[in-house]
Amino acid sequence: MSRMGVFICWCGANIAETVDCEEVARYARDLPGVYIAQSYKYMCSDPGQRIITDAIQEHQLTSVVVASCSPRMHEPTFRKTAATVGLNPYMLEMANIREHCSWVHTDRRDATEKAKDLVRLLVEKVKRNQPLYEIEMPVTQRVMVIGAGIAGIQAALDVAAAGHEVVLVERKPSIGGFMSMLDETFPTLDCSQCILTPRMVEIMQNDKITLRSNAEVEQVNGYVGNFGVKIRQKARSVDLDKCTGCGDCWNNCMAQNRIHEPEREPECSVASPEIAAKVDAIAAKYADEPGGMVVGALQDIQEEFNYLRQDALTYLSRRISVPLSRLFAVARFYGAFSLTPRGRHIIRVCLGTACHLRGGGSIADTISRELGIGDGETTPDEMFTLERVNCLGACALAPLVTIDGRYHGKMTIAKMIHLIEQCQESGDTVAV
Amino acid sequence: MTEATRLQTPDDLAALRARVVERRSAKKVCVSICAGTGCRAQGSMELLAEFGRQLESAGLDDVELRATGCHGFCERGPLVVIHPRKIFYHSVQMKHVADIIDKTIQHDEVLPALLFRDPKTKQRCEVEGEVPFYAKQQRIVFRHNGIIDPTDIEDYVGADGYVALAKVLAGMTPEQVCDEVEASGLRGRGGGGFPTGKKWQICRNQPGETKYVICNGDEGDPGAFMDRSIMEGDPHAVLEGMTIGAYAIGASKGYLYVRGEYPLAVANLNVAIEQAKTRGLLGDDIFGSGFNFTVEIVRGAGAFVCGEETGLIASIEGDIGTPRQRPPYPAESGLWGKPTNINNVETWTNVPVILERGASWFASIGTEGSKGTKVFSLVGKVNNTGLVEVPMGATLREIVFDIGGGIQKKRKFKAVQTGGPSGGCIPESLLDLPVDFDKLREVGAMMGSGGLIVMDERTCMVDVAKYFLGFLVGESCGRCAPCREGVFQMHRILSRIVEGEGREGDLETLEKLGNYVKASSLCQLGGTAPNPVLSTLRYFRHEYEAHIKEKKCRAGICKELVQFRIDPETCTGCTLCRRDCPTEAITGAKKEPHRIDAAQCIKCGVCYDVCNFGAVEVE
Repeated sequence: MSRMGVFICWCGANIAETVDCEEVARYARDLPGVYIAQSYKYMCSDPGQRIITDAIQEHQLTSVVVASCSPRMHEPTFRKTAATVGLNPYMLEMANIREHCSWVHTDRRDATEKAKDLVRLLVEKVKRNQPLYEIEMPVTQRVMVIGAGIAGIQAALDVAAAGHEVVLVERKPSIGGFMSMLDETFPTLDCSQCILTPRMVEIMQNDKITLRSNAEVEQVNGYVGNFGVKIRQKARSVDLDKCTGCGDCWNNCMAQNRIHEPEREPECSVASPEIAAKVDAIAAKYADEPGGMVVGALQDIQEEFNYLRQDALTYLSRRISVPLSRLFAVARFYGAFSLTPRGRHIIRVCLGTACHLRGGGSIADTISRELGIGDGETTPDEMFTLERVNCLGACALAPLVTIDGRYHGKMTIAKMIHLIEQCQESGDTVAV
Repeated sequence: MTEATRLQTPDDLAALRARVVERRSAKKVCVSICAGTGCRAQGSMELLAEFGRQLESAGLDDVELRATGCHGFCERGPLVVIHPRKIFYHSVQMKHVADIIDKTIQHDEVLPALLFRDPKTKQRCEVEGEVPFYAKQQRIVFRHNGIIDPTDIEDYVGADGYVALAKVLAGMTPEQVCDEVEASGLRGRGGGGFPTGKKWQICRNQPGETKYVICNGDEGDPGAFMDRSIMEGDPHAVLEGMTIGAYAIGASKGYLYVRGEYPLAVANLNVAIEQAKTRGLLGDDIFGSGFNFTVEIVRGAGAFVCGEETGLIASIEGDIGTPRQRPPYPAESGLWGKPTNINNVETWTNVPVILERGASWFASIGTEGSKGTKVFSLVGKVNNTGLVEVPMGATLREIVFDIGGGIQKKRKFKAVQTGGPSGGCIPESLLDLPVDFDKLREVGAMMGSGGLIVMDERTCMVDVAKYFLGFLVGESCGRCAPCREGVFQMHRILSRIVEGEGREGDLETLEKLGNYVKASSLCQLGGTAPNPVLSTLRYFRHEYEAHIKEKKCRAGICKELVQFRIDPETCTGCTLCRRDCPTEAITGAKKEPHRIDAAQCIKCGVCYDVCNFGAVEVE
């Protein structure tokens, strides 16, 4: 059985001016599980803290809620206070009725109601709290840095300078990362090699750093202070102690003249010349428009290819110099766009108000049931795509379904089932 | 067709008009077929081709065949009108074509079977105006829809098109145009209801050379399609309105943002722009006035929030359509940071007719604070679904019952929802409310773009609220937390309620949360998102309570709370429900009472809806 104490702070006028603290206390007193509740001018002051410690001892409270300022201010204060009289500090929680309530509202009545809500939430939370205890664990004093770009290199050097052992893991045969490909760096135009190369050398010279290049992290387990990491060291058939890094073996390799790295899929699929030509034609249509006409171009692409194929979008993005991320944002925002291929037949069910009232919802459910697809989905055989649309603006025909743009009005469940069957049999759109 | 020459002066325009009117003499026979989306979906294009074939084989070369824009009466499509008597046939099918040509066209006989029969008076109506659906309407915005061929600029010119533009460019200063529009009392038809003339004036007074006008055709409200019909059926009126507006504020470039779901509107507008360019009505030095203006079409891509003006601007700029903080308003800093004026399709369409016929004529229509007419898309459980244009101040009862022909299947009226996902539901007790901007706001709904969704006793208001919130959860752009998180949480609570997991206090939480979201959202999507919940809570609280306390959905919609059964006394054993049941949950021999196997029933409600005897009940 929990015996909870709730303490409401006025914070001088900060809280009390907009929140009726006495009323909140009265309210809290009646909450299930709360044993006592009281308010005071400054809970964080010495007398205020004494009110809490006295109450914990006198009433043998098992948990405490302090409703006052942000926990960022005084949570450590109150938890220490509670701990001095033997309450587990994690059995104390704070309700923020200042920053989240009194400071941001003006209406006293509403603010008081909100403060009550906040207190009630925290009361429920504390009920579910369990005492936590701090323990000490031995920590392995070794650090692994994954990735030996400039950031990883500097991190490894800093940790080593602090006296710890470091393992630096890098997937590529050589460390240095992107910075090794740069000429100058922003904004000072410093020579990037002048920054990078001394540090690369330092990595090799530092006794505390073990470098594992051409290696990949396979598995990480354990927890902070005690991780276990499995590294796959790729074969390179070179004795590193004797290797001078001259590169002769690399240059003369009979196999492929390079170290084998696993093939990776290119990040963006590349548009074929035919697709590129079609996108070119679409982009040209909107070339004179200021600012974009992105939406129009995407509509045309969808009409052309039945959906927004990624290769076409990638190509368009470069063609009209609009970031791909923005094209995706637009494509996701508007309901008319589909980023996945659609079926050969597109069934659109109107769910405008008139259609809703005349049973459009049941028609949509029927299609879903018959074809096993939901809104925006396509059947596995790529025959049908179902789209629920807001209003097709032909309410006299409600409930209305269109298949490939052909209108089928005054639809009934029986008619719909029949229509789907006919489409499936003939493999073509059915005229009714 | 005369050669498409550039119209260099207003006199050229007048001459062209005279030629067109003369050629289309009133006595000539013309078959005009509705080619709006509603009628197309019901086969009007096939019908048009069939007419062409049969007229040719009958040797009737002088009969004109015309594909027009939407007539509005989509419920009864395809619609065919035979001029010069303007005989109005509805629900015309292929098999009727031969009869129409033989009897009506060649022998001037009317086919009674194809005429509209007034369900009240049982009278057949020969012309459109006699049909009750049209009788109470006043068509200003729809002045050309269903009459002209939208893909032929000469048709538009013949119907006094571009007269207003000629008048403006020939003799009015931009200030005079702004003043005229302001004096007419025209307010933005997109939903906000801001005075159009004032908006133009603000944009006009901004410093800077480059300014833009935008037409907002991103008709996102589900259940609203009036802008679609205008763009499809009368594209030149939109262009003319925009050109006049551009002249008034000093812009030389315009953008037409059209919803991606409206391919026909895009096609017709493209045709119209090309024709207007050829005729010199768009481009440089229009009517020799030195004023230049071009229009570009931008297609939307399925994001509701792009109907919000700052979201729309971001979308045209090629970005994701997230709204931004206002001010600065687009009039100060809009498209590419330049002063920009955005109006909705219907607003632009009103502009030419105001300048042609004068502000005082326009101001004489409507109510104190709302002038002119409003097009509503009347949809839902109403007999005559379609587009309806009435003067401001018409009552909901007139719209729903006189024009709309009442509720389907003679069920009981429950509510009408206005303003799309941001609007509210109006109960039966307020049916005599005169509809204008201010009255709707008073009762917790709003005009919005003009969707009017009729609901009957088979509509669950909790489900409706959940539907709208679900829509908005999907369409919230996610930029500000109140909308992204608040609406999501409200939707979660509603989902719980319809699943029978409603709890005491849920309704209070919904109200509280709703008011927070309203007060603190960045744009009007979030700012109005709680409206469907708050207005249904205001008028239909008892339905919510029945869901929460009794775990009952009386409308029979919320599947977790509904059990259908067949009353053996009333059931005639007609087998209709058994045949229509998708899961074969209904059993029973012919002429014997049927029963529903609860284990197999998926509660789709088909049996309830098809039963002609009211034998299926909601427990």
